[in-house]
Amino acid sequence: MKTKILALAAGLMTATALASVPAHADVKIGLLGGVSGPIAAMAPAMIDAAQLAVQQVNEQGGIGDGEKLVGVVGDSACNPQNGTDAATKAVNIEGVVGVVGPHCSGAVLAAAGSVTIPAGITMITPSGTSPEITNLEDNGTVYRTVPSDDYQGRALARTMKDRGYGKVAVAYLNNDYGTGLANAFKSEYVDELGGEITAFAAHEEGKASYRSNLAELAKGGADTLVIFDYGDGTGLTILRQALENGFFEKYVGGDGMKSDAVIKELGTENLTTFVSSSPVGEKSEALDIFNEAFKGVGGDPDAIFVTTSYDAAFLLALAIEKAGGDKAGVAAAVAEVSNGEGETILPGEWKKAKELIAAGTAIDYKGAAGDLNFDAKGDVPGTYALWEVGADGFEVVTEMK
Amino acid sequence: MELLGLVNYALFMAIFICIYALLALGLNIQWGFAGLFNAGIAGFFAVGAYTSAILTTAMDPDRIGGFDLHFIVGWIGAMLAAALVAWPIGKICLRFRSDYLAIASIGIAEIIRLVIKSEPALTNGARGIASIPRPAGDIGYMESQIAYLAIVLVVLIAAYILVERQFNAPWGRMMRAIRDNEGAAKAMGKDVEFRRLEAFIFGAALMGLGGALFAHFNRSITPEAIDPMVATFLVWIMLILGGSGNNRGAILGAAVVWIIWSVSEIATDRLPHEYAVQAKYIRLFLIGLMLQLVLRFRPEGLLPEPLRGDLRSTKPGADR
Amino acid sequence: MELFELLNFYVIPGIVLGSIYALGAVGITLIFAILRYAHLAHGDLATLGAFIALAVVTGLGVSPLVALPVAILATAAVAVGIDKVFYEHLRERPKIVTVMASLGIALMVRSVIQVVWGVDTETYSRGIVRPEDYFGLRIRDREIYTVVALIVLVGGLQLFLTRSKWGKAMRAMSDNPNLALLSGIDNKKVVMLTWVIAGGLCAASGFFLGLNTELKSMMGWYMLLPMFAAAILGGVGRVEGAVLGGLIVGIAEELSVLVIPSEYKAAMAFVILLFMLLVRPTGLLKGKVL
Repeated sequence: MKTKILALAAGLMTATALASVPAHADVKIGLLGGVSGPIAAMAPAMIDAAQLAVQQVNEQGGIGDGEKLVGVVGDSACNPQNGTDAATKAVNIEGVVGVVGPHCSGAVLAAAGSVTIPAGITMITPSGTSPEITNLEDNGTVYRTVPSDDYQGRALARTMKDRGYGKVAVAYLNNDYGTGLANAFKSEYVDELGGEITAFAAHEEGKASYRSNLAELAKGGADTLVIFDYGDGTGLTILRQALENGFFEKYVGGDGMKSDAVIKELGTENLTTFVSSSPVGEKSEALDIFNEAFKGVGGDPDAIFVTTSYDAAFLLALAIEKAGGDKAGVAAAVAEVSNGEGETILPGEWKKAKELIAAGTAIDYKGAAGDLNFDAKGDVPGTYALWEVGADGFEVVTEMK
Repeated sequence: MELLGLVNYALFMAIFICIYALLALGLNIQWGFAGLFNAGIAGFFAVGAYTSAILTTAMDPDRIGGFDLHFIVGWIGAMLAAALVAWPIGKICLRFRSDYLAIASIGIAEIIRLVIKSEPALTNGARGIASIPRPAGDIGYMESQIAYLAIVLVVLIAAYILVERQFNAPWGRMMRAIRDNEGAAKAMGKDVEFRRLEAFIFGAALMGLGGALFAHFNRSITPEAIDPMVATFLVWIMLILGGSGNNRGAILGAAVVWIIWSVSEIATDRLPHEYAVQAKYIRLFLIGLMLQLVLRFRPEGLLPEPLRGDLRSTKPGADR
Repeated sequence: MELFELLNFYVIPGIVLGSIYALGAVGITLIFAILRYAHLAHGDLATLGAFIALAVVTGLGVSPLVALPVAILATAAVAVGIDKVFYEHLRERPKIVTVMASLGIALMVRSVIQVVWGVDTETYSRGIVRPEDYFGLRIRDREIYTVVALIVLVGGLQLFLTRSKWGKAMRAMSDNPNLALLSGIDNKKVVMLTWVIAGGLCAASGFFLGLNTELKSMMGWYMLLPMFAAAILGGVGRVEGAVLGGLIVGIAEELSVLVIPSEYKAAMAFVILLFMLLVRPTGLLKGKVL
């Protein structure tokens, strides 16, 4: 039996070796996501959005010399073990030029530290929000299209203060995303703006009841609950139980709460006092274009982090085109194609971009989730808007500064 | 280029296998030889990883340490810390038998995970610790993988030799005697409680070392790494499938299970493009199925425990 | 704090949550007692039951409560099938082998759920249900259903175990398998019955979790550890112990927020369990010694 197992393993390895011989001169990018594991509900839409970018590239003339762009999906399962494993396979077996993902910060840090940075492969994460990513010594190869939590937390605090929110309670998911947003929000709302936070509490994911947490949060007499969580996970449970028991009058969410699952499961009529922040470009037409295109392939533009995923993939394709297929040049090219200078490229305008790059004109990609414009650390400043639930889904209430 | 990629992938797998083999060896001391059902591997793994991270990273004002010490110090510290944490746990919990110990240890591992996640002053909380130095990490991609593999291989071989020697020594015979017939061992005047605690602590130290090696390889450690599935249950599968009570079995089990775990993704990637996401779910199904098949045809493990001349036909202690 | 506030926001949610845990814990404790191993696929089997009910609700357009019996029967059948195909031939092997096999089953069941139903968060019915006021107690209808179902199902099980021939056979197997086999009890039938009961209760547990909150493909896995804690807490092999254990774990988790930071809520079940194992190693109601 031992020999059988070894033979089986060897067989699989051989199959791998055979399979990895490229059929055509396809250009591959890795799409690593937490397909299994705690964010399983979010990952498919994010990967679909990235695949949309790949599809658009191929429909509009392909990459480089008319070659096909292929998105290779890998399962990073939201943990470092699987994250590094998936990244290693993408880089070494599939031979990807760049990587979109992984989704969770822990997997990003590990995959960057042990695979992509040493291998010199560009990585753009659409959802790794941890500040630790900013501090990576990455030789300029790690980017993210999602703004660091700090921008959003502070912008949300200022907007809420402007709109006259008074005493608030904050409930946040106990992971890097929730903690980061909550702390940024707290420091701006309380220390800078003199607002009052009556209760500030983290919660674990995957519990069936949060009513006692909510009762504790409500004790301070706040009329508003700020939730930093995911709208298709624990955040939905919390919002549901808060609404059902009437713990608060008004509800505010971070970008993770702007999920169609919230509307689908709770119903528009119950969400009249719910608003949520979410990134949007200064030219919000970029977002509209993406929304149309994503609906066109059966996607849901209100799913969490789909815009950042799309931007990451489209941006990576632009950078590959710009670098002319030179793996080592991709990283530098990412910053070049979105630095605020040059001809504006909107989502889906691959053909135009390709011609401009061929002509040597500078281009500037304005993404669905914002203008990007990376800083030296590979981070983007965010531009956000506040959204409310209208008859046709989420609608912009106001820009956030 | 293709071949180089394959070599790089093989190197990566080998490093992971060595790290998991250390965890499996540690578990083998506890379960295979002392019969202790420790389902809290993730806890000791985490303690080791975080201890080494804190000892070796640069100063960070937001949490304790950053002591910027040599990685060897970090690794020794990891073993000591894991052993130190294991001591009170063992003292309290080893009086529970089999499944009770399992649920108690899994609970303690969960509590450790929650503490790590929720105490920023200690471990930087949910953000984890990044920028952990990796020995020989500044050279090229493949070179640094080879160097790291050499290091973990040396550690693994050293651990294997030490453990194997202990097992063949009178100490090992005594442990098996305690496992298989506690009453008889007690009657022979063996200090059962103390010996169990000893095995528990040794095993935990190895698990802590495994955690440290893991953190330095990835240059980061985050609470996401201490998920019970990948840090506890996977190790159990490795040991049982490889053959509990046999050190070589533990190492082989780590290799076979990790290869199945990793390569299955490439196998399911052969599915049509539209099913790229579904393929990941099917992959988990395949992993489960492979496990069933191995257990079906090889329930005593790939390399069963050697009988060492004592002609036991049944192992009453092992069927708990 | 006001009494009603304590009841409404801490105790009642705790009882509901505890009932859900209890339904799962009863199955775990029975498997422990009769088959003598920890069944790690229990959580994912509960998820399966919840999703089968969802299929019935969306497919036939019936009320969720009508779908419950279907889900119970279907999941029971699946549980028996899993036992026949995967666990049966490991019966003579060390129990740890079956524990590992059940871990593999957990992965397989979850994978089937994710392929068939996808990974989106689902509910049985859209919208929210505000609680009714019963003399100051705020209770939702589905919370009443949950507790009533627990009482009916476990009550029925108790009757079955104490009154019927096969129930007595199961208890005999649990108390002393050798004696039971000697006295001519059909082991196979007892095992099958165990799986029918465990699978059915599992489905009910998943269903009520879904009814009270949402359905997610990972929800059962997250419930596994508290359910195990409940089963051991109550005393292995004791049905009423598992119910008691489930309720204690549920209520303690909700009350814990009053005294410890809420991020440590999940640790509560284990703290109680550890404490209990130290002072009373056989569980609240004297259970088997494993």
